Amino acid sequence: MDFAVIGTAAAEALTLASFIGIGGGVLLGYIVGVIPGLSRSVAISIAIPMTFYMSPYIAISFLIGLSKGTAAGSAVSAILLNAPGEASSAATALDGYPMAKQGKPKTALQVGLIASVMGDILATIILIFVAIPFARVALLFGPYEMAAILAFALVFIAGLSGGSIFKGLAAGGLGIILGTVGLDNQTGLPRLTFGYTELMDGMPLIAVAIGTLALSEMFIQSEKLRYERGTMSVAMKKDPNDRITWPIFKSILPTILRGTGVGTFVGALPGLGPSVGSFMSYGMTVKASKDPDSFGKGNPKGIAAAESADNAVIPAALIPLFGLGIPGNVSAALLIGAFAIHGITVGPLLLRDSPELLYSIFAGMILASVIMLALGWFGLQFFAQITRVPPHVVIPIVIFFCLAGMMLQGYGTFGLIILMGFALLGYLMKKFDYSFVTFLVAFIITPMLELNLRQSIILSRGNWAILLDRPIALFFIACTAVALIALIYRTFQTDKAAAGAPVSE
Amino acid sequence: MIFVPRSDFWSGLAVASVGLLALLWMIPNYAGSNPFARMPPGLVPGIGAWLMVICGGVVAIKGLLQMMRDSLGLVSADLNWGALAWAAWPFAYVAVAIWFMSFIKITWFGAFLIAGMLILLGERRWYMILGCAVVPVALLYVLSVYLMRVGIV
Repeated sequence: MDFAVIGTAAAEALTLASFIGIGGGVLLGYIVGVIPGLSRSVAISIAIPMTFYMSPYIAISFLIGLSKGTAAGSAVSAILLNAPGEASSAATALDGYPMAKQGKPKTALQVGLIASVMGDILATIILIFVAIPFARVALLFGPYEMAAILAFALVFIAGLSGGSIFKGLAAGGLGIILGTVGLDNQTGLPRLTFGYTELMDGMPLIAVAIGTLALSEMFIQSEKLRYERGTMSVAMKKDPNDRITWPIFKSILPTILRGTGVGTFVGALPGLGPSVGSFMSYGMTVKASKDPDSFGKGNPKGIAAAESADNAVIPAALIPLFGLGIPGNVSAALLIGAFAIHGITVGPLLLRDSPELLYSIFAGMILASVIMLALGWFGLQFFAQITRVPPHVVIPIVIFFCLAGMMLQGYGTFGLIILMGFALLGYLMKKFDYSFVTFLVAFIITPMLELNLRQSIILSRGNWAILLDRPIALFFIACTAVALIALIYRTFQTDKAAAGAPVSE
Repeated sequence: MIFVPRSDFWSGLAVASVGLLALLWMIPNYAGSNPFARMPPGLVPGIGAWLMVICGGVVAIKGLLQMMRDSLGLVSADLNWGALAWAAWPFAYVAVAIWFMSFIKITWFGAFLIAGMLILLGERRWYMILGCAVVPVALLYVLSVYLMRVGIV
């Protein structure tokens, strides 16, 4: 490790601008996380245009801070409203809400906060120690290996991020087609632009991200208002006994460590995401407990298990991103887009070309965790009040920021029409259960996949036998085939079981 | 996961049709060509299109087989028009707003955009409408004019 670079990174993380940027990101994330229906990916996609004027380090740290803030904030609504801000906090609500109803809302929130921050910091440390050696190895990979790894990641994400592998791959296919729109970097000729000069640079990422994630989600949320309105938040009263104590902390510490381990493992695998992590950690904690019947009735270990895993997933998902340049989930895919907007290629090359930026981001992530603890601890009362904001107030404001984000990008009315098209696409994908995660990841990695595939074909002169000399590439090609067969088998088995369930349209 | 054969059939058919459209018309006409390249520019979009055709086709066939087993028709007559209209109006509202924005900048028009939707969603408290409409627009103004320095958008 280069200690001079680490020192510079730490110094940059401790500047006022860094505090304001990261603190702002965490605060915004917390507020967004508290509001049910606004997810992490919605927040990041809307916030990307806000980072245009920031330096790359502040911009990325702001977005990572935002991501961390949403994970911690979503626990507040899960505990006080029984309506998780994110799907991944649903496990938190299982014990958090009963605990709040028993007159201990503050204790539940503090347990959730401490578990979140500890899970987050520990996973960030693991990320730092794993991603750098990982990236050093990845620097030795050639186009054969990278193309094989990208294909494997795509199949893996398609199979695990939604229900059916076929729907996932179909969504990925659309993402691949749209990812090739723009000037072909080999011929220099426009490809699939249909004569629109606005598409020469490719399909605008902001339109794709905001449309499929944020705007479509607002349309779905407004549709839900027909059936469910109003929220009942548990009030926080001043009770000196309602706070976390040392015995409670001691009892939840092993659970937090286990949750962090589960969250880190799940986060490092592409396609699984925080919901899997938090429920897996919760399930393991219930199984390991001597008193499993107490879960679901306000056991603080349930909150700690879910929250530590949920927050550990976020830094862990950056391991494949910084190590290989592969986004494991939507948030990481959006970060790739944000890096690209600031002219940076994320992946192992980042370690070689801009190590100071990488270390600064790591330092910023640690700072974000500390800020998250301070904000969460002292702002509990404030965030509890935000849970009372009704969804019908949030929807028009988010729609406004979606449209404004597109205008800030400078695409004008054409961009807004594209945005609307992607909002409709995202809405249909969510309605018919096609994985928009796979779609977005495929859209983002396609240029990289195509470049590596092209280089492989040129270098090998079309001779497939050359793969026999590339064991790593061969290994990932075999993994792709095995994963594909296993996921197809799983889809057929699940469908067979579901076919017996009542039909619903 | 709830198995929904009818929507699976139609959505699979739509996906496969888009893939076919890409294979038969979009890629041959708009992907370009390079006879000297080992990898033609249409190869990668072609892979994407084939994925859509094959996977969309499988989803449609599975849905169709399940519908035949359950004796379901291809279309259902019991459509809830009220629910459909409720789902459609936000799209129409935003589409009209986009049309307006081709004449007026969003900074001038944004407050009305938010206020109108708030009223349609049932908000009646004037101070709430005013605050929710003005504050986001003011934030956008600060962001675009003072922070990004791109002027009023």
